[in-house]
Amino acid sequence: MIALASPSKREARDVLDEPVSASRLTLFHSCRLKFFFRYVQRLVKPVSPALFVGQAVHHALQAWSNRRWKSQPCSDNDLWEAFDAQWTTAQGEMDEPIAWDDEEEQTQRGKAWTLVEHYLATTPIPTDEKPLAVEVGVEADLSDMGLPTLCGVIDLVRPGGVIVDFKTTATTPDGAMALHRHDLQLAAYSLLYREATGENETGIELHHLVKTKVPKLVVTRADPINQDQAARFLRSMVSYVEGVKREDWVPSPGIQCQACEYVGDCMKWSGGVE
Amino acid sequence: MALKLIANYSKRLGLPGYSSHQFSVSVETEITNVNDVAGEASRLYLTLQKSVDSEIQQTGFVPSEGYGTADVLEKGRGGHPSGGNGTSGNGIWKCSDKQKDLILKLMDEHSLAKADVQNLAREMFGASEVSGLNKLQASGLIDRLIEDNGGKPPRRGTTPRYSNGRSR
Repeated sequence: MIALASPSKREARDVLDEPVSASRLTLFHSCRLKFFFRYVQRLVKPVSPALFVGQAVHHALQAWSNRRWKSQPCSDNDLWEAFDAQWTTAQGEMDEPIAWDDEEEQTQRGKAWTLVEHYLATTPIPTDEKPLAVEVGVEADLSDMGLPTLCGVIDLVRPGGVIVDFKTTATTPDGAMALHRHDLQLAAYSLLYREATGENETGIELHHLVKTKVPKLVVTRADPINQDQAARFLRSMVSYVEGVKREDWVPSPGIQCQACEYVGDCMKWSGGVE
Repeated sequence: MALKLIANYSKRLGLPGYSSHQFSVSVETEITNVNDVAGEASRLYLTLQKSVDSEIQQTGFVPSEGYGTADVLEKGRGGHPSGGNGTSGNGIWKCSDKQKDLILKLMDEHSLAKADVQNLAREMFGASEVSGLNKLQASGLIDRLIEDNGGKPPRRGTTPRYSNGRSR
């Protein structure tokens, strides 16, 4: 007799009771076993230097947006202080600090700040432009469709209702492919924005900061989502619910495994049977 | 001694509009000879399959293309009972009940004057009344009230926290 193994006390229904973010949904559709490790088993993994750098840059851009919103000074010098303080604070708050090699921390800190400086120098957003929202948490109750609550945190909403998402990346993104890759996230943010404001977004922008030797900023613009994108998103939500109910945890080996923090757990996975 | 034989046949078929329907029939019977199991199972399988196939052809209500999707899009235009464009069942407030309660709680806890909060809402969103803020604006106001009064806006998201870092 084959029985499903239950290595975690958490069950599928616990996951289904929780709100769904775009990243949760995207992960489920890219690798269900990774989803299982992260959201069902809740296996905690140390933060990678690359993730830490991305978070530091993101935080600095958030501080920049907040300062513009509050009409506070937001020169490079003003932001450097916020960036530097956050870098130190974030390290102090870590349960398992990053094991930097020798001078790697200084190098990474310098690289992160260079990205921020480059963004400030080349951003299409005017310094005196006041945001509509910064790092704002929003939810949409989809229970009347038998779906979990959709939630998300929108990085920035520009005047007129343009949704902006900041990203750091190692390679220069291709516009159309970037929009396709982030389709679920963009649809989720659009639907959340509509739910929260009662209005349609007027556009979406992906601001990619590329970690090349000389940093680059690539801004990809998209129109408001259309009916087909909303339908795709909804179908993905339905598939998510059905897959979680079935406890359909299977790995999707591929190039993405190279950067997966659960690759060791994945290799040991017995197939969910005992 | 009588042996109990339980058989179940189930079929699930996809339908347009991201829906599906399913029907299953179960029977329980008794046999006296264990050698009859195979024959009886085969007979039951055919019978149950025929029954399910006959019934499952009746699809009943089938959603049209765009069913559900339109609801999602409509939510954003005030079509949902708690939509952002209208009131949300909390009087004249446009934000959610939870947001309204939190704003009032923060005002109470930090002894914030209504006029000051009103001014903040005006400064941030150009809104004449806090009650007129939509959910997006109310969320921003709540974060600012928490931050301005010595707190840290809540960590958001659905990702279990790593060793550090923001979660989503």
